Amino acid sequence: MFLSSRQWTVDSGRRRKSLYCLLSVAVCLLAAGCGVRFDMQDQPRYKVYKKSEFFSDGLSSRDLPAGTVARGLLKADKALYTGKIDNPNPNVQVETTTNAAGNTIVTSFPNAIDEFPVAVTKELIDRGQDRYNIYCIVCHGPVGAGDGMIVRRGFGAPPTYHDDRLRNAPVGHFFDVITNGWGKMNGYAASISAADRWAIVAYIRALQLSQNPDENLKMNASPSAAPSPGPAANNNTGGGGN
Amino acid sequence: MAQFFSKSANNIARISMLAGVVLAGTAFFVYTQVARSSYLTGRYVERQQPVQFSHKHHVGDDGIDCRYCHTTVETTASAGMPSTQTCMNCHSQIWADSPYLEPVRASFRDNRPIEWERVHDLPEFAYFNHSIHVAKGVGCSTCHGQIDNMPSVFQENTLQMEWCLACHREPEKFIRPKSEIYNMQWQDGDLSAAERVDLKAKNKIRSKEMMTSCSVCHR
Ligand code: HEC
Ligand code: HEC
Ligand code: HEC
Ligand code: HEC
Ligand code: HEC
Ligand code: HEC
Repeated sequence: MFLSSRQWTVDSGRRRKSLYCLLSVAVCLLAAGCGVRFDMQDQPRYKVYKKSEFFSDGLSSRDLPAGTVARGLLKADKALYTGKIDNPNPNVQVETTTNAAGNTIVTSFPNAIDEFPVAVTKELIDRGQDRYNIYCIVCHGPVGAGDGMIVRRGFGAPPTYHDDRLRNAPVGHFFDVITNGWGKMNGYAASISAADRWAIVAYIRALQLSQNPDENLKMNASPSAAPSPGPAANNNTGGGGN
Repeated sequence: MAQFFSKSANNIARISMLAGVVLAGTAFFVYTQVARSSYLTGRYVERQQPVQFSHKHHVGDDGIDCRYCHTTVETTASAGMPSTQTCMNCHSQIWADSPYLEPVRASFRDNRPIEWERVHDLPEFAYFNHSIHVAKGVGCSTCHGQIDNMPSVFQENTLQMEWCLACHREPEKFIRPKSEIYNMQWQDGDLSAAERVDLKAKNKIRSKEMMTSCSVCHR
């Protein structure tokens, strides 16, 4: 309906105006009321990394209680998860030498396994290359000569992979170094799954071969080795390494 | 009785009606602009972090891969934030007594996490997942911009629904080969339009209808 202004009486105009006024105030209030509520934006559930008001340390992602094992993570296969022989002897005598700088260097690894517990395939080595270039290249350099970018920025230089000591070291030793660290190097078990750690070891063997093509290196897998579980079975959630 | 309104009132009425329409239009335009402004979306805003961590130094200068720190970006919804232990892999040795790193050392000593300020934060009624985007060929820099040039991280895009949908409608305009996902220098022009369409088929990216269905992101 169209009303020309001439037909409006002053009275009804006022009534309408006050009605419009009321209405717009109501709309404003309603909008403000909704606008300042964030119930849907911030729901009472834990988004990853959200701070917890309930636990005293503020962490919403909880560690497993001590002494419990999550389903499927028993890690019964010692060789696969530690790279060590059955019943390793912690007191075993290791051979050492002293290098030019006066540091003691371990040269024998009696507790480490000498065969891959996973099948060595091209896929495994490719995966290893991929992972090596993420986690190791920054210090050990592209071919493992120990000249990565972080070393050039002042980090103590790691040994080259291409000396006799490491060429002859059993594969279990490399796995142990990645898992638990070695000297100045920290362990990477928290960020790299066990399957990927074996892939990296296979790639290091391939690097050693590439620098000494005539060499006969041990790339054999143990007879019981299953095909590698691969990245799909990598149920690594960032917290506890597997 | 004298006429209450003069003749010019007709014109005033017409002009004020026109002005009303123009005003409403302007108000709507202003509203859409304000809604997309960095004031409301947090775009380009740098946050004060507990440690002055610089992606420019670590990624740009030192060439550390994103996954060294954001370890779960390929496997889970969240990209993952580095633990203090990860920082100490290097900083136990280098810059070990820099005052800038004191919060990191304190966190390591006391076994308490560093509390980073979130930069990207979707409302919790929207679902996002990194692993599928990485697996189907969307690179970090498509969404996060040139992280390797950022001394402190800021949000490069609005993260509004219209932004997500612009890509979900035509993903072939933005995808790249899987080997280039972590390449911060990649430009969309590096691949021809035909190659992108092939790549879309190769990566088995689903149809526009399925990708824009509400339940993909609101579940
Ligand atoms: C932050 C730098 C850094 C990173 C990253 C790094 N390492 Fe090391 N690594 C070192 C240093 C330093 C040493 C020497 C440790 C020592 O002897 O004190 C070393 C030593 C080693 C050794 C030789 C151990 C021995 O018997 O002497 C191996 C094998 C090794 N690292 C493998 C790896 C692998 C595999 C990765 C990737 C998962 C990796 N490292 C990542 C710094 C690093
Ligand atoms: C040396 C470890 C490290 C590396 C490598 C790294 N980041 Fe980060 N990243 C961090 C830390 C620590 C933060 C939190 C502090 C901050 O926001 O600046 C962060 C924050 C971010 C954020 C913002 C998160 C938020 O709060 O919303 C994005 C996005 C990001 N990183 C992307 C990347 C990308 C892409 C790469 C690879 C080009 C990369 N990062 C490499 C450590 C790292
Ligand atoms: C792979 C090795 C490495 C890791 C991991 C690493 N950094 Fe660094 N960081 C460096 C290097 C190298 C520099 C020197 C940067 C440069 O000048 O290029 C540095 C410099 C810094 C500085 C500046 C120090 C100063 O005094 O100027 C801060 C702060 C810092 N890092 C914080 C962190 C935090 C926080 C983390 C963990 C999320 C971290 N870094 C992880 C290698 C690393
Ligand atoms: C399709 C766009 C997109 C791509 C591609 C993408 N991100 Fe993100 N990223 C986001 C969004 C959206 C958020 C905010 C998530 C939230 O609030 O839940 C985010 C958050 C983050 C965070 C903060 C922690 C978290 O997960 O909430 C980090 C770190 C990060 N991204 C790193 C990366 C890295 C590294 C890559 C490349 C491998 C990458 N992103 C690729 C859109 C993307
Ligand atoms: C640059 C392109 C791009 C952007 C931007 C983007 N996406 Fe995606 N998104 C994709 C592609 C490609 C896929 C894979 C679709 C497939 O699997 O067929 C995908 C898949 C998804 C999936 C998984 C679908 C499913 O059914 O599992 C979700 C959820 C999703 N995106 C949410 C988002 C959200 C939320 C945003 C905005 C914050 C966003 N995306 C922004 C390209 C993009
Ligand atoms: C590609 C992912 C995606 C799809 C598909 C999608 N949305 Fe959204 N939607 C989002 C994101 C992300 C936000 C949060 C935007 C923001 O923070 O401003 C959002 C916000 C919303 C909001 C709240 C807007 C506001 O201002 O608070 C509504 C309502 C909504 N979506 C409805 C829908 C409906 C209806 C559909 C189906 C037709 C749909 N969405 C499909 C990602 C999506």
